[in-house]
Amino acid sequence: MEKIEHTTVSTNGINMHVASIGSGPVVLFLHGFPDLWYSWRHQLLSFADLGYRAIAPDLRGYGDSDSPPSHESYTLLHIVGDLVGLLDSLGVDQVFLVGHDWGAIIAWWMCMIRPDRVKALVNMSVEFHPRNPSVKTVDAFKALFGEDYYICRFQEPGDIEEDFAQVDTKKLVNGFFTSHNTRPPCIPKSVFRYLPDPPALPGWFTEQDVCFYADKFSQKGFTGGLNYYRAMNLSWELTAPWDGLQIKVPVKYITGDLDPTYHIPGTKEYIHEGGLKKHVPFLQEVVVMEGVGHFLQQEKPKEITDHIYGFFKKF
Amino acid sequence: MFLCTHLNPLFSRFLHFLLKQPDQANKPTTSNMSGLDGVEHKTLKVNGINMHVAELPGSGSGGEPIILFIHGFPELWYTWRHQMTALSSLGYRTIAPDLRGYGDTDAPEKMEDYTYFNIVGDLVALIDAVTGGDEAVFVVGHDWGAMIAWQLCMYRPEKVKALVNMSVLFSPRSPDRVPIPTLRRFFGDDYYICRFQKPGEIELEFKKLGTEKVLKEFLTYKTPGPLYLPKGKLFKSSENGGASSALPPWLTQEDLDYYVTKYDNKGFTGPINYYRNIDRNWELTAPWTGAKIRVPVKFIVGDQDLTYNSPGAKEYINGGGFKKDVPLLDETVVLKGVGHFLHEESPEEINQHIHSFFQKFL
Repeated sequence: MEKIEHTTVSTNGINMHVASIGSGPVVLFLHGFPDLWYSWRHQLLSFADLGYRAIAPDLRGYGDSDSPPSHESYTLLHIVGDLVGLLDSLGVDQVFLVGHDWGAIIAWWMCMIRPDRVKALVNMSVEFHPRNPSVKTVDAFKALFGEDYYICRFQEPGDIEEDFAQVDTKKLVNGFFTSHNTRPPCIPKSVFRYLPDPPALPGWFTEQDVCFYADKFSQKGFTGGLNYYRAMNLSWELTAPWDGLQIKVPVKYITGDLDPTYHIPGTKEYIHEGGLKKHVPFLQEVVVMEGVGHFLQQEKPKEITDHIYGFFKKF
Repeated sequence: MFLCTHLNPLFSRFLHFLLKQPDQANKPTTSNMSGLDGVEHKTLKVNGINMHVAELPGSGSGGEPIILFIHGFPELWYTWRHQMTALSSLGYRTIAPDLRGYGDTDAPEKMEDYTYFNIVGDLVALIDAVTGGDEAVFVVGHDWGAMIAWQLCMYRPEKVKALVNMSVLFSPRSPDRVPIPTLRRFFGDDYYICRFQKPGEIELEFKKLGTEKVLKEFLTYKTPGPLYLPKGKLFKSSENGGASSALPPWLTQEDLDYYVTKYDNKGFTGPINYYRNIDRNWELTAPWTGAKIRVPVKFIVGDQDLTYNSPGAKEYINGGGFKKDVPLLDETVVLKGVGHFLHEESPEEINQHIHSFFQKFL
């Protein structure tokens, strides 16, 4: 872990904290919510050993990167802009891309709007769905799952931050990372008044890990990460030009069978019966990992490294 | 006067066939209000707005190549009347919308709804509606329409077979320089783009002058230099070339009346909102810093155009910068003695240039 270098890169008007190690073809790892570069700690070390240069930033709004105040500064265009600027400052033309959760959404869109910068993609947990021109993204979630659905509860600036503040950050982190609950996360305000103690930490998530996350999020707050959700409808408006366009990058998709996203009604059929392939014609492999939840790169680091390496070495 | 708009498409096509004159391509139309026989006017629902689209079918028997014309400021679909007539008699299906905010197309209330992404979203939906979804079209752009066309090529190159762009050069994004403050520093607060920034302000001043005067001043501006609009002295300064009361030969009173009617009805806010999103566009186009245009392009500009005479423009064209950013740039044409509204000033030449370029891709 000490071998991992930490630098600050100036890109697209922000200072971005980047963790990197190794030399060779570049693999860019994109974390999700509420996560950090640290999510990829195992992969950073393994890929350096495998002869790659592994790079994992704290995305805009997270950790040691800048957090612009307005949620309007967190559209897909802003984040992809940060990453293109990052690649330009490193002098890298094309990367291997790995995304998880919100990082997967960003990765899909990077492939959509700058496919020339991506050699191949391994994406995890969140499939690509084309925009519905008739319904805004958050409105669709509200219609499907109600106003207590976490995405809806995240909308009002300050609101969910207040709820989070009622809970000890370490307890919150533990709850986020280790839950294997597959039900759509609905979190009415009442949930925060009494949050049961989470079970003992699983083997793959140590006390040290909890402290790392708790420290960073206590320092930074959750607002930066929440702003991605608050910019979803705006991103919807701005991505109208890409209606009907397929993602034309070679892709491998991995999810855990205990990931709540995998249990959203219609998802299994969409992934396995051709829906995803229709929009991602170069989707080459789909992997569903048994007994694995949402944070798969931390739960099963070696298997995930093998899956990613097995795919990228074809190129 | 609005005869064409009331005819059903089949009958208007028949009328067009009866009234078609072979040499119509060589003289500017001087006829009625909507200007053109056989033009079909439709309203299409695209990207959440109702878009007015003028269309002239090609003279062939179907399957004609489509040209999408994108107008600028302060114009309308009507600016393309000479091109539509000439090119559809050459067999193209010509399509010219009123862009969002203009003419008979919706003008959303929110200023932020006029970014590149909104407009290109409208046009992609329009292209899909007229082609059935799978085909590319020819595109012709002028002024703001040229800026939109560059972005269309950047986001959806596979939708554009080839582009003839006019007046406004491609401008690669500079990651460190925010546009409006830069323009302010360089040209001052009276520079027209700076004067357009504050919501509502210039509209009030335009209202005082009256729509006809404002449009006439813009449409006849032929000073090969930057446009300044000092408060209280709009268009009166000699720097702007003064305002002569006579119309130029290429703009009839009828033409002007058409523009005035539409702008009186709609106002200037929609069109000026494009300028109010310049910095926002800069912010949102970060992903395309350094990206090139990957579509075959022919660029045409008049040597009296204020754009051609702006600092750096000639060097960008002649020094290789333009070709570097637009590797499939086929040709840059500079028309002598021609100003900003080149396709209205010199329609036959422009029509020739368009056809001779697009022909290569048929």
